[in-house]
Amino acid sequence: MIGILLAKFKMFLRNPWTFLLFTGMSIGFALIIGGSGLTTISVPVYSEDAAIQQSFISKKLEESEAFTFNWVTENELKEEISAGRAEMGVILLEDDYRFIIGVDSPNRSMLEQTVRAAYTEKLQQENNLAAADAATDAEKEKVLENLQDTMKSPVFEINRSSFRSSDAIIYDDTFHRLFGFTLFFVIYTIAYNVLPILVEKKDGLWDRIILSPVKKWEMYVANLVYSFFEGYLQVLIIFLIFRYWVGVDFHGRFLETLLVLIPYVFSIVALSIFITALVKNAQAFNAIIPIISVSMAMIGGAYWPIEIVESEFLLALSKINPLTYGMEVLNGIAVYGYPLEQVLFPISILLLMGVVLMGVGIHLMERRHV
Amino acid sequence: MLELVDLSKKFKQMDAVKNLNMFIEKGEIIGLLGPNGAGKSTAISMLSSLIEPTKGDVRFQNKSMIKHPAPLRKVIGVVPQEIALYEDLTAEENMRFFGRIYRLRGTQLKKKIDEVLEQIGLTDRRKDIVKTFSGGMKRRLNIGVAMLHDPEIIIMDEPTVGIDPQSRNYILETVKRLNKEKQMTVLYTSHYMEEVEFLCDRIYIMDKGNLIASGTKDEIKRILSAEKTISIQAERWNDEFIEELKQNPTVNRVTVGEKEITVIIPKEVNMFSAIIRMAENADMELHSVDVQTPTLEDVFLHLTGRALRD
Ligand SMILES: Nc1ncnc2c1ncn2[C@@H]1O[C@H](COP(=O)(O)OP(=O)(O)O)[C@@H](O)[C@H]1O
Ligand SMILES: [Mg+2]
Repeated sequence: MIGILLAKFKMFLRNPWTFLLFTGMSIGFALIIGGSGLTTISVPVYSEDAAIQQSFISKKLEESEAFTFNWVTENELKEEISAGRAEMGVILLEDDYRFIIGVDSPNRSMLEQTVRAAYTEKLQQENNLAAADAATDAEKEKVLENLQDTMKSPVFEINRSSFRSSDAIIYDDTFHRLFGFTLFFVIYTIAYNVLPILVEKKDGLWDRIILSPVKKWEMYVANLVYSFFEGYLQVLIIFLIFRYWVGVDFHGRFLETLLVLIPYVFSIVALSIFITALVKNAQAFNAIIPIISVSMAMIGGAYWPIEIVESEFLLALSKINPLTYGMEVLNGIAVYGYPLEQVLFPISILLLMGVVLMGVGIHLMERRHV
Repeated sequence: MLELVDLSKKFKQMDAVKNLNMFIEKGEIIGLLGPNGAGKSTAISMLSSLIEPTKGDVRFQNKSMIKHPAPLRKVIGVVPQEIALYEDLTAEENMRFFGRIYRLRGTQLKKKIDEVLEQIGLTDRRKDIVKTFSGGMKRRLNIGVAMLHDPEIIIMDEPTVGIDPQSRNYILETVKRLNKEKQMTVLYTSHYMEEVEFLCDRIYIMDKGNLIASGTKDEIKRILSAEKTISIQAERWNDEFIEELKQNPTVNRVTVGEKEITVIIPKEVNMFSAIIRMAENADMELHSVDVQTPTLEDVFLHLTGRALRD
């Protein structure tokens, strides 16, 4: 068994290009498609009126995706600009605002838009209140509440929560993509490592090993361990890059995140075995894998949040899709910060799927061979 | 030493091998001859315990190997019909891998690898990746990895398919040498009758799952003892000529090939001048007319009415 593993590793080192390609694609897609959100521009902000810091305006500014507004004193603001630590700053007044521009750049008009939008919205809200002719504070509150309720129920809603780390902000969108593309591309890496079982069986390599003192289960174990290893290595590399190079801190639960990837990778190894047992030859396998992985990604929430899927049928399908549970576990741990117990359910489903698919897959494969 | 008794295999409704009886003694080279689809590979897979027979028995030293094939597996080396190698590894790495799965280690493994590489003539290519090998070299390595554990019986399934004549000769010579020098018992499967004729002491001929002839070369050819073969060559065929040959009451069988017509007639009949006359009548130019001693090909033709390689 060690011999089989050694041979596999040797071949991997000799020809790691497919592996690297899929690893690179996961990282690339997560970075490029979510790219604009990766870093934000820090803008010092100051106001004479301390109340503004708690006001509607301030909340609106905080929601900005492109800018991070830091509250500073007037002097600090001027110093930051003149020292070149910030490109520009904002001074907020009750109904107006000023910019202090150190360096003129395309960011300036974007900043202006952001701030102007906040004031416009504030004005609108005040107008709404006036129109509602609300007198008492309680009534005002009620109107505002109604307004917010209507705004809260658009066609669909994406749950947002933010990801903070020391030097960058990753929006959950980007995070979502990181998970999505990682879970998606690793299917290919694993599947293309299980495929050789089919080819080696056809070519008689397995027959050779069967005739030797090596046991059949050792061959399966060696192949599966190896496929698992390569799949896991890929997600490990991707997550390490995001943790230490891009600087995502995974809610401080990086190790747990890595841990909960294990059941997912295992279930994909099992799924690949199962598919391998069903197809006739390598060509059929190559044709079917993209179809399966892409549909899994679409209904499992790798490309977009599963929350926007409305079709009952697709939702039902997503319940038998390992990727759905993989996303659920990762989001649970790293995005929502759930304790481990709370993601035990999807984890057990992944493990169960893994055991069943692997059992059935190997059984089918053996039956077909003899 | 090794015996197949009424060995049969059915795939769904199709009989791939029917009631095959065969025996192999130590030190023999046995040929298993038959066209594609005859059931040779299926027979070999059953013999080497890779697939279970539908019926019949494989006996090694008088013990059935169907349920407990371990003693047999230990002494056989199987060369599969396909190239069963890791093409991304070098020749030597492949050998090390297959040696290791037979529990060879260290200097013992190294010595064995050197020895086998020498035998198959790949010593100077040992560090090269198999993918870069020619068909003939791959075939040789395919044989080599089956010899690492010093099998008493080597079973080869069409080991010369699709390679150049030199490599083919090299392989045939190697097999003969292994048999002579190391008393290795060989079961050699092929659809090339000249290979089997060159190598083998005894021959089994299969067609459509059936054993249609068996014995030494001479014994088998004696099947044709009452007949002889005339081979006629010409630039192009004239239908009138062929028709006349077929109508001739003394002719047993006529087979028309691309460049050659084979006529089988009773041994005592002399048709030489008659054929020349027929050609003249049909206004056809002959290149040659040969009276041949029978080959295994002729035996096959006689028994099945088809050429071996059709
Ligand atoms: N696994 C299988 N399932 C179904 N049919 C098979 C299988 N293996 C071989 N056959 C059929 O059995 C017959 C004999 O095949 P085979 O033993 O490979 O012949 P040969 O080796 O003489 O060319 C062929 O008709 C082939 O199609
Ligand atoms: Mg065959």
